[in-house]
Amino acid sequence: MKEQIIDLKGEMSLLTVLVLHSGNMHSISTALETKCQQASQFLERSPIIIDCQLLGETGLELDFVELKLQVSKLGLVPVGLRNLWEEAEAKALAAGWALLRPSKQQPTANIPPVTEVNLTPEYPEAVQRLLVLDRPVRSGQQVYCPYGDIVVLQHTSAGSELLAGGSVHVYGALRGRVLAGIQGDIQARIFCERLEAELIAIAGRYRLLDEIESNLKGQSVMIYLDQEKLKIVPI
Amino acid sequence: MSRIVVVTSGKGGVGKTTTSAAFATGLALKGYKTAVIDFDVGLRNLDLIMGCERRVVYDFINVISGEANIKQALIKDKRSDNLFILPASQTRDKDALTQDGVEKVLKDLTDDGFDFIVCDSPAGIERGAALAMYFADDAIIVTNPEVSSVRDSDRILGLLQSRTRKAERGENIHEHLLITRYSPARVASGDMLAMEDILEILAVPLIGVIPESVSVLQASNSGVPVILDKESTAGQAYDDFVRRFLGETVPHRFLEVEKKGLFKRLFGG
Ligand SMILES: Nc1ncnc2c1ncn2[C@@H]1O[C@H](COP(=O)(O)OP(=O)(O)OP(=O)(O)O)[C@@H](O)[C@H]1O
Ligand SMILES: [Mg+2]
Repeated sequence: MKEQIIDLKGEMSLLTVLVLHSGNMHSISTALETKCQQASQFLERSPIIIDCQLLGETGLELDFVELKLQVSKLGLVPVGLRNLWEEAEAKALAAGWALLRPSKQQPTANIPPVTEVNLTPEYPEAVQRLLVLDRPVRSGQQVYCPYGDIVVLQHTSAGSELLAGGSVHVYGALRGRVLAGIQGDIQARIFCERLEAELIAIAGRYRLLDEIESNLKGQSVMIYLDQEKLKIVPI
Repeated sequence: MSRIVVVTSGKGGVGKTTTSAAFATGLALKGYKTAVIDFDVGLRNLDLIMGCERRVVYDFINVISGEANIKQALIKDKRSDNLFILPASQTRDKDALTQDGVEKVLKDLTDDGFDFIVCDSPAGIERGAALAMYFADDAIIVTNPEVSSVRDSDRILGLLQSRTRKAERGENIHEHLLITRYSPARVASGDMLAMEDILEILAVPLIGVIPESVSVLQASNSGVPVILDKESTAGQAYDDFVRRFLGETVPHRFLEVEKKGLFKRLFGG
């Protein structure tokens, strides 16, 4: 039997988690390519979290720049790393990765807040800083603005996705999934006229609609990160 | 120039073919030279509903692959001189449907002076559906009052905005929402989505609401498009829809639960 290099695990139907079994960049890209061919429909443009738990200290050897490149090249959207060996964190941040909180069932590791290291991601030149859409964002559509804000002048549908490096404004009902600050910008915010979203996330901290207090559903709200917590306030 | 209209839905069995047949017939009866094309390769259906299944010699795929020309393949409707049907192939592979081929057929029809070309899309979002919508100027989005159908229509609206020639040119397709199989009684009892809810979710201009009616099945079994059944509520609603499409202002009907009068209640009807 061939040695397993990576595992793909769906979590909460949106954020696909890529569990690395090896720190070898070459094996990772080959394995990833195969997975993507098998499931191109499902994986195309899906945001992905990379879990380094199994790597332990070999995580130090990971080429984070290359990893990001490979993941993006295959049409995936790199959201962030989690369970990374502490010593490797600075290197990962330098490569532009966001560090995500470990998932709940694990003991909270001592992850330094992203603020200390890399508050605002460096923007490559001549990138789109603002994307304005005057039509509804429909189910199955994904809007991706990796280094800027997204403004939707209409509603977004259930089953749609907004992914912004910066903030997101929706002047209508927000019914789909929305991820702001996908490069790790913890200052990114989400504004909408009617909160009916399936999932909200800022810099990798996410919440599902079920977890949102029911009195905020359907309200005009602003969502921002307060320390590690997503705060939703009416506006 | 012909105006190309796709009748599409995403979800299957919601009434696209019923609508295409009624729509094309209605346009033809109002004096427009109309062709209706069945894009459902392998599941020929439109010819049955139009009642011309026994006159099919050549089909859409034959024309695309050059085995017949468009004039040979078009079937003239027996009720209207303005109406022509281009049936789908029963036997051929879906891959025979190509973008160039579809474009050529549409161009032939345009050159032939057709006012309207109605494209009856298959269900799903695969090749047949993608090609049926690709060249469209207008889209009739057929939706049933249930969540899965509405969701699929939303999906289709997204594709109309991105995977069509108009979209690629930065233009917009005209979108029209047609709600079919609407049953006010089941809406009232909470079994079905209300028209207002559907509009709220989809945010597309409404062009008609066709009530659920047994006459639809009767009509397709006898090969007569239901729009010709002037007695039936569905037939009347389809006629209203065609008139709205042509620019008339026509109020919506059949949205409320019908109150049976004492006479009707006592003696049926
Ligand atoms: N208004 C209506 N009232 C009652 N029955 C209807 C109505 N509209 C359609 N139907 C029935 O629904 C069924 C499906 O209709 P139709 O074949 O037009 O759908 P379709 O969307 O073309 O299906 P497909 O996706 O398979 O092509 C048929 O049995 C038809 O008689
Ligand atoms: Mg059909």
